[in-house]
Amino acid sequence: MSIIKTENICKSFGNLEVLKNVSLTVEPGEVVVIIGPSGAGKSTYLRCLNRLEKSTSGKIWIDDQLFEDRANGHNQVHHTAKERAAVLLEMGMVFQRFNLFPHKTALENVMLAPLAVKHVPEKEAREKATALLQRVGLGDKMDAYPSKLSGGQQQRVAIARALAMEPKIMLFDEPTSALDPELVGDVLNVMKQLAEDGMTMLVVTHEMGFAREVADRVIFMYDGAVLEEGRPEEIFSNPKHERTRQFLQSVL
Amino acid sequence: MDALTKIVNWMPALLQATGTTISLSVLSVAAALVFAVVLALGKISANPVLSNLCRAYIFFFRGTPLLMQLFFIYYTLPQLIPALNIQSRFFAAWLAFTLNVAAYLAEIIRAAIESIDKGQMEASRALGLTRRQAMRLVIIPQAYRRMIPPICNEFVMVLKDTSLVSIIALTDLTYQTKIIASNRASALVYIPAMLIYLVITGVFTFIFNKLEKRLSIYE
Repeated sequence: MSIIKTENICKSFGNLEVLKNVSLTVEPGEVVVIIGPSGAGKSTYLRCLNRLEKSTSGKIWIDDQLFEDRANGHNQVHHTAKERAAVLLEMGMVFQRFNLFPHKTALENVMLAPLAVKHVPEKEAREKATALLQRVGLGDKMDAYPSKLSGGQQQRVAIARALAMEPKIMLFDEPTSALDPELVGDVLNVMKQLAEDGMTMLVVTHEMGFAREVADRVIFMYDGAVLEEGRPEEIFSNPKHERTRQFLQSVL
Repeated sequence: MDALTKIVNWMPALLQATGTTISLSVLSVAAALVFAVVLALGKISANPVLSNLCRAYIFFFRGTPLLMQLFFIYYTLPQLIPALNIQSRFFAAWLAFTLNVAAYLAEIIRAAIESIDKGQMEASRALGLTRRQAMRLVIIPQAYRRMIPPICNEFVMVLKDTSLVSIIALTDLTYQTKIIASNRASALVYIPAMLIYLVITGVFTFIFNKLEKRLSIYE
């Protein structure tokens, strides 16, 4: 059983190889944190999972179903648009720069996709969105437009918005990197709560404290490849690889 | 005193011609807007045939003088294809302006759509929206507001450019002014005529500003 499994994912932009045979598995309920220097391919890997980028080659299974089997950029798995959309809905994504819809209030941001994609009745969507915003601590900001919210609040709305589609796994792409330091804590707390509630999470972050405390497994990526993986206490206190040691020394 | 009486006497004729100027401008910009949306979406579409067709259209209508296009529709077209002999001067003028303005508006709309941050499309797609839904629900509503100032600008240009139709003897404000000026041999008539243009452009600019404010509530 795995929510996400990838085998030898490669991605090139022209001649630049960004991912080199990344193989990784995320089990249900697991929190996996990917760390590594910038340019290591962490974000690109996440984006290949939900098709914001197309990998060049490799296999992806989502919820134990083969979703992609690419060679030279061509996917050999044939899905109808509907089947593909259904698989993609199992992944929720939170972006570094929030990407909230600025012309919609916090509540409308959370309601939009359930209404448009799942055709949930308006009343039900509203109730659920309200509950989600309360869960991320924004019960009093429902009718605020994103421009009136702090970065931390915007990111929490973005988390609620992704949760509204009831994904099986949440992908976080450096969710706190664009935040002022004093706002990082609020977002990490929401993520921690989510992990405690049993959500499966794949998180790219530079927050080593979060990785140490919340992760079940830490992956160290370097130069497009997974160099080392293990339990956080192993990685942080006893890294096997010289590169990992150097990286941890520079960030801790 | 004498000049003032003259001007007052000219007013009914001038105002009637103003009606033609305004309706020509409004009707052609309205039709051009609809056409421009199709052109803009066509130009940014992934279909290379459609995209190049729209590109060629825009290139042609922006690359040749509006006055020539007007002559072409009114004089050349009937000679080439007798079935297309447009009798109504107003219709010929409307057609020329619509086709021309659509090319400019298409570029305004395209630029507004493309100015929306790429993250908006990515977030929409990650939430399961189709590309079409993302356009309709997320991208285009944000692009509206950015289009208003350049569309207002374009509209004001059109209002003034309609004075070109006097050349095919359509009685717009400019043509009427010229008639009065030559018949009564008084060049004074250009003063009220220009003031009328100023008032119309002023009123429309005011309306567009209000519209822009109303669409900016979320900023």
